[in-house]
Amino acid sequence: MTAIAKIVRALALGLSGAVGLASPLTAGEYHITVDAVTIDTGDFTRTGVGFNGGSPGPVLRFREGEDVVIHVTNNLADDTSIHWHGLILPFQQDGVPNVSFPGIKPGATFTYRFPIVQSGTYWYHSHSGFQEPDGAYGAIVIEPQEPEPAAYDRDYVVQLADAHPHSGHRIFRNLKMMPDYYNRQQRTLLDFFRDSRDQGFAAAWSDRRDWGDMRMMPTDIEDVQGFTPVINGKGPEQNWTGLFQPGERVRLRFINSSAMTYFDVRIPGLKMTVVQADGNNVVPVAVDEFRIAVAETFDVIVQPDEDKAYTIFAESMARSAYARGTLAPREGMEGDVPALRQPPLLTMADMGMAHGDMDHSQHQGMDNAQAPAMDHSQHQGMERAQAPAMDHSQHQGMERAQAPAMDHSQHLGMDQPRTAGMAEPDPFYAPGSGLQPEAANGGKFLSYGDLRAQKPLYAERPPTREIELRLTGNMERYLWSINGVKFSESEPIRLRYGERVRFKFINETMMTHPMHLHGMWSILDTGRGQWNPLKHVVSVAPGTTVHMETEVDAPGDWVFHCHLAYHMDAGMMRKVVVEGGPGEKQAAAKPAAATGG
Amino acid sequence: MIVCFSRALVVLTVGACVAGAAAPAFAAGSHGQHGQGHGSHATAATIGHPGKASANTRTVTITMHDNYYEPESLSFREGETVRFVVHNKGALVHEFNIATAAMHKAHAPEMMMMVEHGVLEPDRINRDAARQMQAKMGHGMHDEPNSALLEPGQSAEIVWTFPKHATLEFACNVPGHYEAGMTGTITLTH
Repeated sequence: MTAIAKIVRALALGLSGAVGLASPLTAGEYHITVDAVTIDTGDFTRTGVGFNGGSPGPVLRFREGEDVVIHVTNNLADDTSIHWHGLILPFQQDGVPNVSFPGIKPGATFTYRFPIVQSGTYWYHSHSGFQEPDGAYGAIVIEPQEPEPAAYDRDYVVQLADAHPHSGHRIFRNLKMMPDYYNRQQRTLLDFFRDSRDQGFAAAWSDRRDWGDMRMMPTDIEDVQGFTPVINGKGPEQNWTGLFQPGERVRLRFINSSAMTYFDVRIPGLKMTVVQADGNNVVPVAVDEFRIAVAETFDVIVQPDEDKAYTIFAESMARSAYARGTLAPREGMEGDVPALRQPPLLTMADMGMAHGDMDHSQHQGMDNAQAPAMDHSQHQGMERAQAPAMDHSQHQGMERAQAPAMDHSQHLGMDQPRTAGMAEPDPFYAPGSGLQPEAANGGKFLSYGDLRAQKPLYAERPPTREIELRLTGNMERYLWSINGVKFSESEPIRLRYGERVRFKFINETMMTHPMHLHGMWSILDTGRGQWNPLKHVVSVAPGTTVHMETEVDAPGDWVFHCHLAYHMDAGMMRKVVVEGGPGEKQAAAKPAAATGG
Repeated sequence: MIVCFSRALVVLTVGACVAGAAAPAFAAGSHGQHGQGHGSHATAATIGHPGKASANTRTVTITMHDNYYEPESLSFREGETVRFVVHNKGALVHEFNIATAAMHKAHAPEMMMMVEHGVLEPDRINRDAARQMQAKMGHGMHDEPNSALLEPGQSAEIVWTFPKHATLEFACNVPGHYEAGMTGTITLTH
């Protein structure tokens, strides 16, 4: 470790020793304006929304134990809000219009006040309309009171986003009109001839028919393409650059602030040691590549030891575009920029079709193909016109049959000896999924199964009850919902303060959904018991069932939603009401700390 | 107890032995080819060798946290014999290993193998898994005089005689920990 990192640690030790942990270290006052700003990605320029005159907004640096006072002034013509993504705070400060507070009217200033009770990498964004896709996001870095569990000489925020030339409103309108409006990777007649050559005409034809039945396509991985991926607001050609001295340890705080896009991130030539996920320290794990869901954060340590430029390369999950930045000893240096890999194709497994009565022997040796040999006689009785995989009522038996094989709690954490050099199936993807990623260099790709809490926050205990949330949708009409009911027609999920609830997500759609619960931690069940990691976003791949548990320790009104901006707006969202608890009277008696709006 | 564990332990458990119940701490595993020895004689010239403590021996306390040491740099006289008392105050298993950077690097895959065989869990050393690994692979964990692999709450003592010239560091080779910065420097002076 180098001298600078040691000094940083010594300072942290000294401060935490000198100042009582109970008293706030500082009471920081911050001013943020919400503004119309110019978005310039190098590919296009347009008007968007930002903070303090720019997009992304300023990096907010807090200290654990600090009481923050944040004045937010709305310079837009529309209502606005700021949600502090991943922060544990009183619900009135959570920034969701009509749930936590009324929102911030044009010209008004709202003052947020809350204690900082955690540390790590987080972010903030507008929770109003489509301001977040339009650029209203920024990073939060909270310094811990205790020394960092990792040593580093430099520290950079690497905030990814999918800047789009169209406004959020326009994109949503187009998706509602024509759900595949932005899919640039549609399969063509030529692909069909190719499939026929490879699979035989009958197989290719029946495969096509199956996809058609479901109103979906094997390329339905990104709803919205045509965007320019940015790192800290800079497009690939603008090349965001972080400097280092060879041999230094560099901490990169990856945040995915995209509206819709997952990224697969790598830095050719460097191992990345993941030390934090969603703001919570994890047992360090060295990887070659990782996938970052929308709204997740991953902190990694890299140690570039050569005097050369290294490319930070983040391909979108459907390989339609890439974000690119550089780590370099000097400004202006560039590393090689890899080519985009072949787009993955969804398989029948991703469609939730790999159900119990399917003959698995037919799938031996299937690579990423499209389940060509699938026996269609098994699907008779499905009503063609009804988008079967989406319609729960017709598929009771099917998903039940499929769920046990994917129940992570029963299949993970066995610590089975692994065979080196073989790509293992990742239980967080459906068996046979076309989406399971592989590292570009054949090395280690991070799985949720690798994440272990470094210091479990909660004692382990059995959940008091289970709540099933089926992730549902209809691509044909661009309707997204939970348990088949969209937000506007739904009842809140009611929780009791003090209970520990187990949530069971069953993804019945063919898209991957990053589910985000406000106000309380999502303890992702990776089968590791007390080591299960704490997250604020849990990504649920198509055709899988994922569990998370929540210690219900935050009274008030919250929300639970898919963090894909257009899925949330289409209805994949719930209000969550936590009843009872010490804050109940207080919450009722004390009005929100509003000074405006 | 399997053969590898029964070798005279240079690494002694302090805390655990006082408690009387816990198994001894283990030195970090070395899984080099059998028949090539386990390195201590081969490396003595470069990194030093196990020492004998006398009344004049300096004692240095090393505290291991998640994932760093306190202190993070050490300075000794060339040829000095030092008694290290190592405490693991973290919540994870950690190692205190005196070696060259290259040796640490070579040691990393062996530690990874221990993780993959379930021997090395985040907060404990699984002795059953170690026995299985020993049975299956023909080698398991060994006590190495230059290192101590400790579960949370355990302590160990190492007496080490440093060589005249060497560029050494102490480090934790539990996978991910070295990369996260759990290393310290050893400076040898006249």
